[in-house]
Amino acid sequence: MEDVGSDETIPTPTLQNIVSTVNLNCKLDLKAIALRARNSEYNPKRFSAVIMRIREPKTTALIFATGKIVCTGAKTEAQSKLALRKYAKIIEKCGLGGVQFSDFKIQNIVASADLKFPIRLEYLAVAHGAFVSYDPELFPGLIYRMKNPNVVLLIFASGKIVLTGAKLRDDTYKAFKNIYPVLVEFKRKRPPC
Amino acid sequence: MESSGSCKNCRKITLTVDDDTGNLVCSSCGVVQDFENFQAHIGGVTGPTGTFVRVGTAGSGSLYNYKQTKVYEAQKLIEDLIFKLGLSASRYDEVKAMVERITEGEYGQGRWFPIFVGACAYVVMRKDKKTLPIVEVANVVGCDSNEFGRMVYRVVDFLDMKLPEFDIVGSFERAIRCCPSFSGVEEEIIGRMLKQGVFFVQCSMKWYLTTGRRPMPIVAAVLVFVAELNQIRVKIEEVAKELYVAVRTCKKRYKELLERLVKVAQVLPWGKDVTVKNIIMNAPSVIQYMELKASSMYSKRASFDHVGFDLDDLVAECLNKEIKYGYDTCDVEKDLQYFEVENSPILTIGGANELQISHECLAMVYSKLLGELPLVKPLAGTEELDWRKQKREYGIYTCREWWTGKSEMSKKLLLKQIIEKDIGLNANPPSYDRGKLAYQRRREKINAAKSRIERIIHPSKADLGDRKDLFLAQCVHSGKKRKMQVEIDWEDLIIETLLLHQVREEEIEKGYYNALLDLHVFN
Repeated sequence: MEDVGSDETIPTPTLQNIVSTVNLNCKLDLKAIALRARNSEYNPKRFSAVIMRIREPKTTALIFATGKIVCTGAKTEAQSKLALRKYAKIIEKCGLGGVQFSDFKIQNIVASADLKFPIRLEYLAVAHGAFVSYDPELFPGLIYRMKNPNVVLLIFASGKIVLTGAKLRDDTYKAFKNIYPVLVEFKRKRPPC
Repeated sequence: MESSGSCKNCRKITLTVDDDTGNLVCSSCGVVQDFENFQAHIGGVTGPTGTFVRVGTAGSGSLYNYKQTKVYEAQKLIEDLIFKLGLSASRYDEVKAMVERITEGEYGQGRWFPIFVGACAYVVMRKDKKTLPIVEVANVVGCDSNEFGRMVYRVVDFLDMKLPEFDIVGSFERAIRCCPSFSGVEEEIIGRMLKQGVFFVQCSMKWYLTTGRRPMPIVAAVLVFVAELNQIRVKIEEVAKELYVAVRTCKKRYKELLERLVKVAQVLPWGKDVTVKNIIMNAPSVIQYMELKASSMYSKRASFDHVGFDLDDLVAECLNKEIKYGYDTCDVEKDLQYFEVENSPILTIGGANELQISHECLAMVYSKLLGELPLVKPLAGTEELDWRKQKREYGIYTCREWWTGKSEMSKKLLLKQIIEKDIGLNANPPSYDRGKLAYQRRREKINAAKSRIERIIHPSKADLGDRKDLFLAQCVHSGKKRKMQVEIDWEDLIIETLLLHQVREEEIEKGYYNALLDLHVFN
């Protein structure tokens, strides 16, 4: 039987996605943007926003007629901000004037980590019942709603976890730091000798 | 009763209705009149009362208004669904009360309402720790299980309650009783299958086959497995269909269960020959071993392993003492009496040291015993005395005699108890094992990429290394010849790029290539 979780070094969560928003403070003609920008798609019957993609940083933006933009897919906060600036520039170049870059805000940070040991989700669900929702009939992971920091963790039996809902990178790291000792408690015990 | 018409024959108005036939007859001449039984019901205050019939109930003039109709239809639907789910009348009241509470007496109409009623029925059953699988309810209400699950979440959130853990053992017991495939099976066999099934379901729990997985496919897999053990022919497709689960998932779980049993079987003397294909043939020995291990948890001296190891030590010790046994003049038949467990129930090293047994006899007995090890029973308990008798009868064992069902694992246990039990194998979750393999594969790829880079940077060293280390161990893990021809693939190139951009190997090992490329290469 192989040794599980012998390496006690705490892994670091890897940021996978950052969602941010910005307000351009002007009404946008989505049809004009869709016609002029080749990297965009617009189907008002399906979704009332222009979907625009850029390759550097590799992100996708949802551009709404109200002037608000949602940027997804960036790996860091700086990348996300840079991407939004690029989208604002593209919109400006599409001939729409009065574009301002205001109220930039990180809305969500998603990170993942591999603990490299299996976890008994059933035990964890019982021990932390107040914060936990675990129903394998509906979802394979255990949903842990941490109150402080306000982060949701999806914990899987394989030892992989997803942290989401944080607005600050530090909150993600703090949540992981908080949960790690808890999960170590529920890793599989060594077989009785 | 007299009629107002006149007789067609005599023209008299003496027509009366014959009570027996209902025909109109002339009481004067006796002629039966033409068919005319219509009696007009005249309305008014004095007229006879009738039923008010009307098509459609909507509108101001209808008997019931919109809300009453809605409530009536909703209650009818609840009743209908409860009947289809096979729940009792008391459950109807509970579900109705829950629906009424959540909708504040408004009930509802539309496609969402049956799903909502189904969710309430599910929550009511689950709250009382009764088994009702989501897939079954979702099938009855006509939606997919994800949609149904969302409704369950909403109901649970609204009621601010915590559902107890899903009872997989209970669902197995329910499935074996409800599955039409097993309807014709004798009650005795069903009873045995139940015990065996509970045993395997609990083993699956211990082996992480149920953690984070939908329970019903595992139930189906165990059902098929125990059916095979009891020589009942059922198809996994049929069982999956009857339990409303995907066939592919059931087959996967079945395979996982077999793989774990094969791992358990490795401790058997012929364990190397046991594979997924022949595990059914070897299952009796494996199960017997598992039962033995499970029941020997608290009496370790009596465990199977200890019997085996004692004999190993004993034989090794005896074979070394050549001088001592060189003087032994006892014949083989005489020596055998020392191994009659009936006469010496406790077999320990200390006891065996005192025996005077010849070298050849010991070797013979040992080899014979090794072949029959799975049949060795724990020394503790009342059955221990006739274990030798049983092993002699191995040749005439029918497929059912191996099952005793006396292990505690055949009874419903708490998860804690299950995990504490030793059943010969402590497995990790399949997803964890796959993840570990993926890590290993990536590690090999990283090493290979490093070697390739090294060869390019220092061509003088090119001849020193073996070319084999430049490529990933010829795709050992894939096991497919077709893939073996591929030497460098896209993953190798990405790893090379990341290494050249000074990305830490531990980060590459995680396999988040896109994130790393964005952070280090295209940044």
